[in-house]
Amino acid sequence: MKITTNVENLNNYQLYLKVEETIHEFLKTRGYLKIELPVLSPALIPESYLEVFKTEFRYLNEKENLFLTPSPELFLKRLLAYGIGDCYYLGKSFRNSDPPSSLHSFEFTMLEFYKVKANYLDIADELLGLLNYICIKLNRITDTGEKTIIYGNKKISFTQWEKISVAEAFDRYAQINSNELFDEDLFFKKAESKGYNIKQSSYTDIFSQIYVQEIEPSLGQNGYPTLIYNYPKKMAALAKLNSDNQTAQRFEFYIGGIELGDCYTELTQWKEQQNRLMAESKERSQQKKIKHPIDKGFIQALQYGLTDCAGIAIGVERLAMIYANLDTISKLKLINID
Amino acid sequence: MMINAGNLKKGEFIRYQNEIWQVQKADFYSPGKGSALMKARIKNVLSGKNVEYAFKSGEGIETVEVQSIEMQYLYKDAENLYFMNEQNYEQYTLLLSLVGDIVKFLKDGDKYYVYLYDDKPISMRPPASVKLKVVETEDAVKGDTVSGAKKQAKLETGAVVMVPLFVKVGETVTVNPETGEYGERVKI
Repeated sequence: MKITTNVENLNNYQLYLKVEETIHEFLKTRGYLKIELPVLSPALIPESYLEVFKTEFRYLNEKENLFLTPSPELFLKRLLAYGIGDCYYLGKSFRNSDPPSSLHSFEFTMLEFYKVKANYLDIADELLGLLNYICIKLNRITDTGEKTIIYGNKKISFTQWEKISVAEAFDRYAQINSNELFDEDLFFKKAESKGYNIKQSSYTDIFSQIYVQEIEPSLGQNGYPTLIYNYPKKMAALAKLNSDNQTAQRFEFYIGGIELGDCYTELTQWKEQQNRLMAESKERSQQKKIKHPIDKGFIQALQYGLTDCAGIAIGVERLAMIYANLDTISKLKLINID
Repeated sequence: MMINAGNLKKGEFIRYQNEIWQVQKADFYSPGKGSALMKARIKNVLSGKNVEYAFKSGEGIETVEVQSIEMQYLYKDAENLYFMNEQNYEQYTLLLSLVGDIVKFLKDGDKYYVYLYDDKPISMRPPASVKLKVVETEDAVKGDTVSGAKKQAKLETGAVVMVPLFVKVGETVTVNPETGEYGERVKI
């Protein structure tokens, strides 16, 4: 890896700063409390699909392992359990094993906000409000008052969401109907008939491969940001299940085929949370990922009872990149490491 | 040789669905919903067609060994580029669509590396930089000292690139043929 200085990106960087400033301003007026958090932690939440950075604290002959936080979730949920109310973190998060690319950096700025007594659809409304507010602050308004941006060569209007369920998206873009999507055997058969290599792959592996290959490129391409919602329960993470018992209250949003954020109605039943965390932890050790202690305070907070709430995580560089109409996040930065 | 898709690199040749492809772009992608993927753009070496494909990063991919031979670039027509192997004076034909945008920076008579598979040209290795003469560009306005300011310049192959204001007609500059970016002014 090397360090490069890119002063030619000054204008883009200034736009990035404006986006950050606008997010703070919007959330403040909506009553969210800004939370400053540590990025080094002695324990984490087990997440099977993320690798972490490990370092150590040294004092004389003593040593203690510390880990860079891959998301602020563990700290924010502790605070939510203690009744902090609507809150957010906007700052650095770290993910190991993701080589730098046009959309990825192993350290990145994440916005995570939680709203209490709310579900994922309430967050969708709040988020659309934020996207419009950024348009106003960046002067992306047409003569008729419509808040729009150009991304690539396409116009995106923030007047509404294009909403599509995961099942509808698989049907429309990958010709996989909902019976096939929700039945593991049928899903594998269908995937194989489409030419995917299903050997030694889990449902989530194949799901994710088809999703990236056949669905993502079409999302956020029809003049509006796309909100894709109700993921199969195997992709539930810590999201609450719907009453159909096969989908979870989770959505992601896209502009120009690029994923910008991931939202859940938070699961609040302790037993179910425990099961999913244990499964994640087991999966981590099977994949030989870096061992880290599980944050017991987080577990206790969940046991004590997480209030009904919903939250979303957004990649801030990616979001600013879209408003700046750039194809890579590195063009927003004055110093790049890749 | 079998490799994991996670190790795919730009420029490599692979066998996929019984055809040979060259990797144009390979980005590691962790969607957070399953194991990591390698998003690749691959170009079919027979048709020149580009395809985007998301491989599972642990998926086995067969890489293909190809020959790389230095040849003299003779000329091009509407469909092909023509090269000559100076070792045996044999002429080789390479489909224009397999070469892509770098073709506008190639100069007749110069030497380039051509990739052969089964003795058929399937691609060429873009040189890191090419030296080309500026044939057309406006004179810089005196006093215009804004640093980083650039102007258009037409090169001897017909390609148009952005160059710094101090570059004059008749001078030779280096250009990265893959990005079209100006490198430096050179004396020849």
